[in-house]
Amino acid sequence: MSVPLGYYLVLGAVLFAIGLCGALTRKNAIAVLMSIEIMFNAAILNFVVFWYYLHNGALTGQVFALFAIAVAAAESAVGLALVIAVYRHYRSVNVDEMRTLKG
Amino acid sequence: MNVIFLTLSAVTVLGAVLAVTLRNLVHCLLALVLFFLGIAGNFFLMRADFLGAVQILIYIGAVAVLILFAIMLTRNISGTEGGRGPLGGAWWLGVGIAGTLAGAVCVFVRRSDLVTKFPYGATEEGVVKEIGKLLVSDWVVPLEIMAVLLTAALIGAVVIALEERK
Repeated sequence: MSVPLGYYLVLGAVLFAIGLCGALTRKNAIAVLMSIEIMFNAAILNFVVFWYYLHNGALTGQVFALFAIAVAAAESAVGLALVIAVYRHYRSVNVDEMRTLKG
Repeated sequence: MNVIFLTLSAVTVLGAVLAVTLRNLVHCLLALVLFFLGIAGNFFLMRADFLGAVQILIYIGAVAVLILFAIMLTRNISGTEGGRGPLGGAWWLGVGIAGTLAGAVCVFVRRSDLVTKFPYGATEEGVVKEIGKLLVSDWVVPLEIMAVLLTAALIGAVVIALEERK
């Protein structure tokens, strides 16, 4: 009925790689944030997978995933506020145009 | 091989791929919602129903709407106007790095002896009640810290996004 643990781990790795690829190649800051959300979700999926396969009747893994989701939500709120502030300043959200600190 | 697992994984990976490749940001967001739904489906499949509900509420209900507002407030929907990505437009470099990472992880997964493990078994009824009890007994300090973090994030987001006074 169920699949072995390895399949879920490969799924998590593939999703994380897709998110990393997006974060490295997109130039719109909001698209980069979406890619980071994909990476976050791949990590949370791994938490839940390890809980499901290795728990001994304890729910600690689910509680930890819950905290991870809350941190991710806080991160996305602050990140999007930063994007809006940057847009006000530069009139653009392209990450390659944010290079004030470049030497 | 479980058909439900395969279908859910295909939907999830499809949503993720579309979310990072489509040019129109609103279409990206719709693909991202599909991805979130696939993850939530996987949670339900693993009998973590509470987490699945939380995933739908927070990610599709809150984060997706937040991203939609950010897209509308910044106006650059197509994402194709001028400029290049952080790697100087070398998309193959990003794909290569991500592919290398995925390949390395898969190699280590294959070598691990955890791979063939099967689920421990179904949890009993009343998981939500148990999680609630854990949150206010064993994990009450992290819960309070989380409350402080969320408050700080709320105030910080408002302060950062506030219009600068001239």
